[in-house]
Amino acid sequence: MVTYDDGGNASPSTGASFLSRVFSTRHKTIGLQYLWLSLASVLVGMVLSALLRVHASWPDAAIPFLSGLETTPERFAAVRLLHGSLMVFFVLTAAPQLGFGNFLLPLQIGAEEMAFPTLNCLSLWLTVTSLAGMTASFFRPLSQGINVWLISAAIFSLAALLSALNFCVTTIVLRTSGMTLPRMPVTVWAWFVNAILSMLIFSVLLAGCTAVLSDRLLGSNFFSTAAFLAQQPQNLVRQGSLPVLWQRLFWYFAQAEVYVAMLPCFGIVTHLVATFSRKPVWKERLVVLAICGVGVIGFCVWGYHMFATGMNPYAPLVFSVLASSLGIPAAFLLASWLGTLWDGRIQFTTSVLFAIGFISLFIAGGLSGIFLARHDLSRAAVNEDFVIGHFHLVMGVAATFAILAGLFFWFPKLFGCRMNETLGKAHFWLTFAGVYCIFMPMHWLGLLTQSNLLPEVQRVAVASAGASIRTLVTVATIWTVAAQALFVANFFGSLLRTKKGQENNPWRATTLEWSIASPAPEDNFGAEAPVVYRGAYELLAASLDEFAPQYISPELLAQKAR
Amino acid sequence: MPGTTSTHEIELILEKKNGGGGGDLPPAGRNGGGGDGKKRPNRQASPARYYTGVAIGIISVLMFFMALASAFLVRKGGADWVPVHIPALLWFNTVVLLVSSATLEVARKHLAHSDPLGFKRFWLVTTVLGVVFLIGQVVAWRTLVKQGIYLASNPASSFFYIFTGAHGLHLIGGIAALIYVAKRNFDATQVTRTVAAEVTSYYWHFMDALWLFLLALLYLGK
Repeated sequence: MVTYDDGGNASPSTGASFLSRVFSTRHKTIGLQYLWLSLASVLVGMVLSALLRVHASWPDAAIPFLSGLETTPERFAAVRLLHGSLMVFFVLTAAPQLGFGNFLLPLQIGAEEMAFPTLNCLSLWLTVTSLAGMTASFFRPLSQGINVWLISAAIFSLAALLSALNFCVTTIVLRTSGMTLPRMPVTVWAWFVNAILSMLIFSVLLAGCTAVLSDRLLGSNFFSTAAFLAQQPQNLVRQGSLPVLWQRLFWYFAQAEVYVAMLPCFGIVTHLVATFSRKPVWKERLVVLAICGVGVIGFCVWGYHMFATGMNPYAPLVFSVLASSLGIPAAFLLASWLGTLWDGRIQFTTSVLFAIGFISLFIAGGLSGIFLARHDLSRAAVNEDFVIGHFHLVMGVAATFAILAGLFFWFPKLFGCRMNETLGKAHFWLTFAGVYCIFMPMHWLGLLTQSNLLPEVQRVAVASAGASIRTLVTVATIWTVAAQALFVANFFGSLLRTKKGQENNPWRATTLEWSIASPAPEDNFGAEAPVVYRGAYELLAASLDEFAPQYISPELLAQKAR
Repeated sequence: MPGTTSTHEIELILEKKNGGGGGDLPPAGRNGGGGDGKKRPNRQASPARYYTGVAIGIISVLMFFMALASAFLVRKGGADWVPVHIPALLWFNTVVLLVSSATLEVARKHLAHSDPLGFKRFWLVTTVLGVVFLIGQVVAWRTLVKQGIYLASNPASSFFYIFTGAHGLHLIGGIAALIYVAKRNFDATQVTRTVAAEVTSYYWHFMDALWLFLLALLYLGK
């Protein structure tokens, strides 16, 4: 066993009072706190989704929170909103960027701490406040609930802004000597570009929330309800209920959020695919450019949604072109992942299985996205199960797979031991099969029963087929949620195991975080800052042990080889 | 070993490729063992993070106001738009804010010439001018309220109040920074007062320029 001879590796709890540990300014503690927040949110959010599905299939069943739903459709909307808020804000946004990013960004660039630790602590607790607010809004009556939700969203925006500022400055200023921009791991690039994107969009979202709140609480006239309704499609206005308004407002945000959630996942998957194929990232420069491209186009698509809706007759076309052009960087990324895997010596760990699962889901979800990006087609299929299937595949589930891949990979650095591979693989295959059984039939459901593509007569005819598909989806949902018990058991089982004598670099990875002990010591690299000698992906397929970590000098490497 | 040779080849290629484009960071491979890595305290004390931080923060605040400005321009076409006549007091406030930017620079000159007394005096003048500006804005609000123009009156008044209010809130942050720079004992910390004063001055001048932009928007865009 190799242990890092680091004298100053004090246990994190020595001498620290409970309060100073909870309100810690250490980037590793904060990163873990974000991950715990995400874990709690994802478990609650998943149970809510199962409840929603059960209600969709068997409306008569008495379900907690949902019983008596026929009389109050607002409750159904509220459950959906809570599910969406938890998953989008506190899982997809928080885990890959704020959780892994806070923990690993300083480690991967060789820094001791984030640039502004106190600010980091503040944004964590603003996020926690926002989570509490969004949960509380669920238990309030609708009109109050909306206000509480909006205030929480504004607080979340503020927290995201402070975090993004921290990430940007840390990446620009605190890289260790030798860590030039081309040598940064793709994960760092992704966190960095994502921070810039968040910086731009969350300040606009904050302005939007301020205006809406001022309208609702102080009676100002930024958005008038009449003007808003006039812009909506007629059939929505006829339904006219508040849940529809909820949904539309939520979509404004969801558009930008897709890119904020996906960017760090691209980074994580690229990183893992290279490490476990034992090959350099194929066309690394192009990958970095593609990640920047996703950031730029993501911002433009979102800007369109925020400002152009209902103003410009050519706007649907603009949206169509912009949304389709996202396919170009996405295709680059896809080509690079496959090119890296091609002819690689792939180590089939749970981690890389989840990364490959991500690629599979990304392709499947991306293909249905092409239909939605065409504005003439999307009008026919939009708003129901087809869209739900699409964005869950590409954003929700794919991103979750990337998060899980990252968790299995970095678990030794986070907690000091590996997770169980057998349990992990069982969990992967059950989940992988489960999510495809949920979301693929959901696409069919949308096309068969809710689109305007079929004439009315035929649509009634296929409605009975819809019922059986709906049951299949629900059963698959329950199956998938149940399979997560394996993950929970694996996670907590691994935590309880011993944390002594772990190897520094169990995966033979090349980046800086693997040069130090597992779990990462309190003071990261100790008294001496590390020096970086080469790019992040110098791996060779020829043999497992032939790789050149960033932190080992050429002389030392030559010595080892001899 | 053949594999090792190719590792070295790749390294050599990458050295050549990366050597040029690395900015001001040392490229790599100076000596073995990491023994010459920079000592940590120097690196952590670098004031660069504050300059970068304030620059990025300014971009973010700018995006916030740009979002409101774009909403203002879109909303202006509405039928319920009743223009707000800007109270004359705002022109006086503008002059006060501009003068405060000048006195801030004078204060920094004194600091650079190691004249702490002169710095303190002009820094105080800047802070007082900032407060006078804020009081002036509140008085301008009261004039409008006396005329019966409230936040809820019509879209134009809503925008007037939110622009001035949001700018005022951001300026309060600036005043807090001014007081912090004046009061804090910088001897014990890694940041010098000069750096803190410079960073604060960027934010203050930005607030100044932002106000000019908002005033132009409100005056010309009514």
